[in-house]
Amino acid sequence: MDDIFSWLRFDFMKLAFGAVLLITPLFGLMGTMIVSRKMAFFSDALGHSALTGIAVGIVFGIGDTNLSMVVFAIVFALLLNKISSKHAESVDTIISVFSSLSIALGLAILSRGGNFSKYSSLLVGDILSITPKELLYLGILLAATLGFWCICSNYLQAASIHRALAKSKHIPVSLMEYLFAVLAALVVMLSIKWVGILIINALLILPAAASRNLSENLREYHFFALVFSVFSGILGLIISYYANVATGPAIVIIAAIIYFATYLYRRCAGT
Amino acid sequence: MKHKYLFVAALLLSLSLAGVGFVKVSTGAGYDGEKKGEEEFLIVTSFYPMYIACLNIAGNCEGVTVRNLSEPQTGCLHDYQLTPEDMMMLSQADVFVVNGGGMEGFLTDAVKEYPDLKILEAGEAIFSETPETEAADEKDHGHDHGENAHVWMSIPHYMEQVSAIGRGLSEADPAHQEEYRTRTEEYLEKIQQLYQDAKKRLAGAQGRKIVLFHEAFAFLAEDYGMEIAGELDLDEERQISAQETAELLEVIREKEVGVLLAESMYGKDMGDTIQKETDCRVYYLNTLVRGEEDAASWLEGMEENIRLLEEALASEEGL
Repeated sequence: MDDIFSWLRFDFMKLAFGAVLLITPLFGLMGTMIVSRKMAFFSDALGHSALTGIAVGIVFGIGDTNLSMVVFAIVFALLLNKISSKHAESVDTIISVFSSLSIALGLAILSRGGNFSKYSSLLVGDILSITPKELLYLGILLAATLGFWCICSNYLQAASIHRALAKSKHIPVSLMEYLFAVLAALVVMLSIKWVGILIINALLILPAAASRNLSENLREYHFFALVFSVFSGILGLIISYYANVATGPAIVIIAAIIYFATYLYRRCAGT
Repeated sequence: MKHKYLFVAALLLSLSLAGVGFVKVSTGAGYDGEKKGEEEFLIVTSFYPMYIACLNIAGNCEGVTVRNLSEPQTGCLHDYQLTPEDMMMLSQADVFVVNGGGMEGFLTDAVKEYPDLKILEAGEAIFSETPETEAADEKDHGHDHGENAHVWMSIPHYMEQVSAIGRGLSEADPAHQEEYRTRTEEYLEKIQQLYQDAKKRLAGAQGRKIVLFHEAFAFLAEDYGMEIAGELDLDEERQISAQETAELLEVIREKEVGVLLAESMYGKDMGDTIQKETDCRVYYLNTLVRGEEDAASWLEGMEENIRLLEEALASEEGL
């Protein structure tokens, strides 16, 4: 057993481990809401907007591009939410347009003068370089998400099942949706540096999707999503350490294996 | 109902076991943090040219280990991230030999992580010579590395680096001082010989116009007095705009440049284009950042570069 935990001797691994313990439950929780609200594409677009956010920050000369990234993502999320609630017919097309436009803008601005390589680490992410302060931000975000989840989870669920019915029960549906969009923007932006644009959506979606294959009620749904998310996070980190591969992809691969296993289980169990 | 929880438990357990098995198999392979004995002096180098220099100086010394970071297989070092294996190596290194000049973008992270790590910057003297204004000027052209840090491409600069490493290692590890000193001198002599030879063979290069596809070759041009008519810094993430290409073609036609130096990994497509559009001949040189773990590889690579340059100049005269 000594061998298995020898990696905890190093400070950067302890911090990365802490980050995984904070990010994965966060993603598990957000994922369940995103999957049941059929917003997988929305969160993907959000991830892509990170590039534009940084580019906007550079154009306006804002020193801390993290700030411009978060602000841009929130604006982007609210805008997407507004537009997609008006045109229910072709939401995926609209999101796709926005997402590709924002990534094209970001690439165009960031690649000026051949500077893009500086930002390529954003694409893959690097959980090993996390600092204690950033860990604290993630902790605060997790607490906020938990709070939001305790209060609003039922409302959101009701709204996603039947919007009109939820409205008639005096649930502030649009307010909830906007709040959720902002929260999703915050979660995606604050973790994108560690997880990477290319795979952040997989981490959000896979545990919840796998959990959906198994669960018969909401409690099980959330429970399994959390378990799968945290489990693949920890195992992925350990494997990435020994196999010397990037951490994010290792986590996603494990989450994907879980998804396929649960999918087969559902097929065989015939539910 | 019960099946489901059983299934999940079995799934997670088997995945964990597979993970543990995987870990067990792969722990033998990579760098094992336990292996280093107390007396061993561990030199870690940041990338290939530094590794080769250190191999020559300290390669076969008793009780000294030279290890290179698991550097990227593609591209430059600028945006490289340290892997867990690297972090382990650095945590046990006695001295960390780097090129400096902004080449190692991850250096700040490493310093933050290991404040006690002794860092030996081989190019320190060279980079501090560069006047401030020049460095700032470079930035305007859009290089994210500030100044041109590929100093190992210049024979005289590389010699400076080698002697700086030799001096630094002797200071850090007085026990092997004598060995380091003689080996450094031996290596420097070999390089000096190559340089004399190269200067003779490339005497005709003085004032010749060339175009570069990689800023590393600027040092070659400088060493032999060639005039750089145009430059495009092709890099792994670099996306060249149509305008830049057109401008470069203009320059080549106007100044009648006959030789273009490129690196095969990133310059190939662009080189083919240029060759099709103009009379310019494209030569693919080695930036000496990748290769075998062979102490002589810098010398061999440099010699091959010189041979190619000679060929390039000869063929241009033939035109």
